[in-house]
Amino acid sequence: MRRFSQKQYEWRVLAAMGVYSAFLLYIWPMVRNTGSYPLKVLLGVAPALPVIYVLGQLARRIRASDELEQRTHLIALGVAMGVVGALSLAGGFLSISGVVKLDGSILIWVFPVMMFSYGATRWRVLRNYGGPSCDDELSIWPWLRFLLVGGVVLLMAALHPQGLEGYRLGFIYGTGAGIFLVGLVVALRQWLKRRARHP
Amino acid sequence: MNNLMRELRSERGWSQADLAQQLDVSRQTVNAIETGKYDPSLPLAFKIARLFGMTIEMIFVPGEE
Repeated sequence: MRRFSQKQYEWRVLAAMGVYSAFLLYIWPMVRNTGSYPLKVLLGVAPALPVIYVLGQLARRIRASDELEQRTHLIALGVAMGVVGALSLAGGFLSISGVVKLDGSILIWVFPVMMFSYGATRWRVLRNYGGPSCDDELSIWPWLRFLLVGGVVLLMAALHPQGLEGYRLGFIYGTGAGIFLVGLVVALRQWLKRRARHP
Repeated sequence: MNNLMRELRSERGWSQADLAQQLDVSRQTVNAIETGKYDPSLPLAFKIARLFGMTIEMIFVPGEE
């Protein structure tokens, strides 16, 4: 099977996450003002579509991986499943026993927690095999990734829909600026390292 | 498990990326095999042996247990 490069995967995920953010900012808020039930359902699940696309890309990436990469994916997915399962079980028991009050909206955290656990574990496992990424030289530079994500978030804040003001808008601006700043710091560190290696 | 992959690759003047492309694996997998951090599966070991025109036993040597 033709290899699916890390760079291809990352560009597609970045694009899908851009669409996801746009859906969350512009489409999803319309749910509350819509009277039609079918439209409500459609708008409600709209942000899930880019996420499903990302899952499809992840599956494609794993299928096109070599045996070592598949092993790292398997370990990372196993750990992610364990973390989400354990947290859900603990949360469920705490909720039933009345210690904490949880409603259905907590489910929104399942995907981010799972992806974070998967990413962190895979990074750790790959380090054991000698590198942070199996396709390190082919992946998007980390600083560019941060700059792009930060830039997109800032752009969305600048083009914010009406009704999004005050704290929420400030939060989006702050997040975008923070991610952008991290990108600048990472770029500067990389440049200093490269200069020290080739003076 | 020890192996002679790095030596055989160097003899042929191939980079890790060249070898990875011929084996249809990632460069990091080649690196992990060369450094002994990862032992390849039997099909991949056969592929490596075929590429270098040798037998598996000539390339891969069992290490001390």
